[in-house]
Amino acid sequence: MEYDENGVSIVPSEFKKEIFEEARKDFRYEEYVRGCLNCGVCTGGCPPHRFFDFSPRIVLQKMKSKDPELIWTMMDEYIWACFQCFTCAMICPFLNSPGGIIAVLREIAVRRGFESAKKVLKPYSRVLLKLTAYGNQLSPDMIQPDFFPDWGPTIGYASTDLAVKRKAIPMPTLQVTNLAWDVAPEAMKELYEIFDEAGVFKIIESVDPSLYEIIQDIVDDVRSS
Amino acid sequence: MTMEISNRLGLANVKSDYIHAAGRKLEDIHEQLLELEAKGEVKVIHIKDENKAIEADTLFGWKKKIPTNKIWHHKSCGQCGNIPGYPVSLLWFMNQMGLEYVDERNQTSCTAWNYHGSATSNPVGLAAVAVRNWHRAYELGLFPLFHCATTFGDYKEMRNMLVEYKELRDEVRRIMHKIGRELVIPEYIVHYSEWVHVMRFEIAKLKKYDLSNIIATVHPACHTYKMIPEDCIYDKDIYAGKRTAVSTGVALALGAQVADYSTWYDCCGFGFRHILTEREASRSFVMDRKIRPMVREAHSDVCITQDTGCTTTLDKNQWIGKAMGYTEQVPVMADVMFAALACGADVFKIVQLQWHTTDWRPLCEKMGIDWKKSEEEYNAYLEELKAGGKTVNLYEYPKS
Repeated sequence: MEYDENGVSIVPSEFKKEIFEEARKDFRYEEYVRGCLNCGVCTGGCPPHRFFDFSPRIVLQKMKSKDPELIWTMMDEYIWACFQCFTCAMICPFLNSPGGIIAVLREIAVRRGFESAKKVLKPYSRVLLKLTAYGNQLSPDMIQPDFFPDWGPTIGYASTDLAVKRKAIPMPTLQVTNLAWDVAPEAMKELYEIFDEAGVFKIIESVDPSLYEIIQDIVDDVRSS
Repeated sequence: MTMEISNRLGLANVKSDYIHAAGRKLEDIHEQLLELEAKGEVKVIHIKDENKAIEADTLFGWKKKIPTNKIWHHKSCGQCGNIPGYPVSLLWFMNQMGLEYVDERNQTSCTAWNYHGSATSNPVGLAAVAVRNWHRAYELGLFPLFHCATTFGDYKEMRNMLVEYKELRDEVRRIMHKIGRELVIPEYIVHYSEWVHVMRFEIAKLKKYDLSNIIATVHPACHTYKMIPEDCIYDKDIYAGKRTAVSTGVALALGAQVADYSTWYDCCGFGFRHILTEREASRSFVMDRKIRPMVREAHSDVCITQDTGCTTTLDKNQWIGKAMGYTEQVPVMADVMFAALACGADVFKIVQLQWHTTDWRPLCEKMGIDWKKSEEEYNAYLEELKAGGKTVNLYEYPKS
């Protein structure tokens, strides 16, 4: 990587073109990026627009410009502001999907292990671990007062006598504490096969190599059981 | 066009003979799916007579069949992990009505919450997970019912992509063969809130409490009606067919007042990633854009939801608002939980409101429910279980 006199990395134009081409070759591109009237209804209804420097209209306009330099400016934190609610897609008169093209750009960012993606996703690793290693992503024992102090004093209810409270839920699949439901090992093994074949494990390796090692240890244990 | 307006609180039960069919036209993916089946490209999980389907209208006036019986429950990570009364209330209703279903361990997450939060998957991965779970329902001869709105949105999207892109079908079929499964697609992708909607008059027959003094505000989930919006239920008797009818329909059928508020169309602030890693954005959104308008404009007694992330986000983020002077509070629960309460389901053992953060006791008291008695019985039950007592289940899954 080259750096300028201020220590800011210089990204070669060729690389930026490569990123744009990768997005444009995606089979969803033509469906998500169509004609844009610049009416701004997407941004007017966009929830994160109220709290972040983020506009789905700008996303669409930059994609429509086909200018790799402009598109590159969105590849850092910008694309991660989107809530993925698809309000923009629902109300666009031209059937564009700014939320959809953002998902495509995010996929490129994680697949290529961009530093901005690594930084944004670092606090997300617990969820990634649960989902990819065990097959569902939110477990009762994750709801701990020290992790969610802003959820108020009653949040501690979920962390005391958890095993017996879960046992009292009248659905046997839910009577566990370390998973949302008790996923059968055969289902986990099929999921691993899908993740292998679809390249999902490789994506995780590129965005968080240490987490990938932990996940693979669990996967190996389950596969050999 | 005739319109009948009888609700003093807003548009919820405005009736119209005008069907919302104007605007953009898309191809009906259902027809294309059946064409692919005829060519032998895919297998389809069809609605059968034993599914006792009820028809409903969608955004463009297309018909959608909602199975009510012989259901395979596709559970939600967030509901099962954090809001257990959500799926329990649904199973409780099915038991009350004598309907058949399977709830089992052989199911994975749809993985879509993770995808929309982190992008650590791709269309092949998402579609293969979807088909894997659909095929499990298929081999049991059941119709899948999806509990989570993000699962519903994602599976609608994956169904459409699988129908439209041969390359994706070929790749997913190859992966399915590796795990001993086939490429199957359900005839309809059905969300639990659609089951609740078409069963709302049967549910109302079980009503135990008068709800005429209860003011409800509905928060519709983005992934229910904004992702593949053409495949979502609209009803000319609810919001005059101009907004999705699910959740509002059952609250009206139970006799509650459903009030309008100015930010009905806004999301909850969940953001998939934000709820865990940028919580200040989620909590600001909750208080400024949802809870405050619901309370100040509508004097809401309860916020009715239809999704996992919305329920969690809207419920959990009210307490911290007090630090910034937000005094408005409203209990949050899913449509099926509110309906179960109205129909006499136990507050603690079935609706499981003890896991919720925002105080729901004033709502119970206004409905006439003795939550203290329920709490005493639940605590006694916990003591029994601690002493080695046996759990009383709604369902026993097949032992493998």
